[in-house]
Amino acid sequence: MAIASDKVRRARPLLGTFVEIEAAGAAKSKMDGAIDAAFEAVAQVHRLMSFHDDDSDVSRLNREAWLRPVKVDAWTFRVLEAAVELHRRSKGIFDIAVAPTLQNMGLLPRPDGDPPIGSQARSFDAVELLEGQRVRFGGRGIRIDLGGIAKGFAVDRALEVLRGFGLASGLVNAGGDLAAFGREPQTIHIRHPCDPRRLMCRVEITDEALASTARRFDLLSSAETTGSAIIDPATGKPTGVIDGATVRAGSCMMADALTKIVMICGTGAIEWLELYNASALLISGDGDVRITPDWHHAVHLAA
Amino acid sequence: MMTWVRYTLPAAAITSIASPSYAMQYLSIDEAQKQAFPSATHFTEVQAGRVWKAEAGGRIAGFFIFDRVVGKHLYIDYAVALTPGGAVHSVEILQYRESYGGEIRSPSWLAQFVGKTSGSALKINGDIRNIAGATLSSTHVTEGVKRVLAAYGNRLR
Repeated sequence: MAIASDKVRRARPLLGTFVEIEAAGAAKSKMDGAIDAAFEAVAQVHRLMSFHDDDSDVSRLNREAWLRPVKVDAWTFRVLEAAVELHRRSKGIFDIAVAPTLQNMGLLPRPDGDPPIGSQARSFDAVELLEGQRVRFGGRGIRIDLGGIAKGFAVDRALEVLRGFGLASGLVNAGGDLAAFGREPQTIHIRHPCDPRRLMCRVEITDEALASTARRFDLLSSAETTGSAIIDPATGKPTGVIDGATVRAGSCMMADALTKIVMICGTGAIEWLELYNASALLISGDGDVRITPDWHHAVHLAA
Repeated sequence: MMTWVRYTLPAAAITSIASPSYAMQYLSIDEAQKQAFPSATHFTEVQAGRVWKAEAGGRIAGFFIFDRVVGKHLYIDYAVALTPGGAVHSVEILQYRESYGGEIRSPSWLAQFVGKTSGSALKINGDIRNIAGATLSSTHVTEGVKRVLAAYGNRLR
């Protein structure tokens, strides 16, 4: 007979970060099986949507979709649908076609024989979604990167798998994009975007998702923050006014995507936060913290 | 239309050391071995503290390799499970530590958290279980797995 244990938490390197999955309130063997299956869902998103993997849907699209419609997996199609809708609703602020800029900055690799592409803003019909999960690009110079939305989608899929096992609670954290379910609130500590060694605040979440973004840093080589990997499509340059943002939303995919809009628009992002029933916290360069009024009760700042 | 509520973080909060060390123990070596090869009945140490052969009913189920990557501020213990053919079966993080050496200046930072649930005290190595912020790169582990494969992928058959 399986021995009941209160919770199990494991971590694997996936999606270019560390993905943590926690299961609670079931027999140990059941929690282990749930976590294995949830990791498999994350690995599947990684295989489908990695910019770095030649066999991913994203790489096939970047190679061939300007020539002919390319059929993609149902999950990839769902992410593209969400990205295209958000692109349209945000008037181009959210844009999965900024990959050439990231390539030119050396933040994304350029496959052999792939010529450099200018970093100008993309047109609205860059990514065309067709019948039968097929996708066509509007021109030869289109390159997409789902790095701003796929991690959140992976968290949602993993959480869905955990839910399917009938656990009391579960949590998935993909390097700061996280979501949880269960009756008890989960406490999340948020790093200071300018110094990852410090915690800036804690937030409680219940049955919801949280995504955080900041200027880039890599604790393995340095704790110093560097430039942003988020590109403003209007200027083709990295964003600079906001140091960090955390967004709360019903789905992690939407929270993940909305952090990009907040980093680009700052306080102006409130229009889209309201549209998607999301809340946000942003830290501007002068050290000020701004929180949407629907959420400030749940955020406990270090003071 | 919503409007933002604005706070100014006092300078004291900006300079306080929030978390002198953060560690997360996920699995012991024993647990990770059972996790990677649930059907295995026996693990034989091939290289002390580093490589184990997993056997199930007298047949080789695969190999289990323990490794560690050390960065400037991070120490990560991880394990690679290989199939009998030498391909990666799974990669699991066993322990994760962030350490900032002598920077433990103010343990009273805990008292600095204010909020409506002040009753729930924070503990440095207790309650901090979920940290969000910018993405931590897993590049070093990915490179480590490549080294493990290069070192053992063809040798362990």
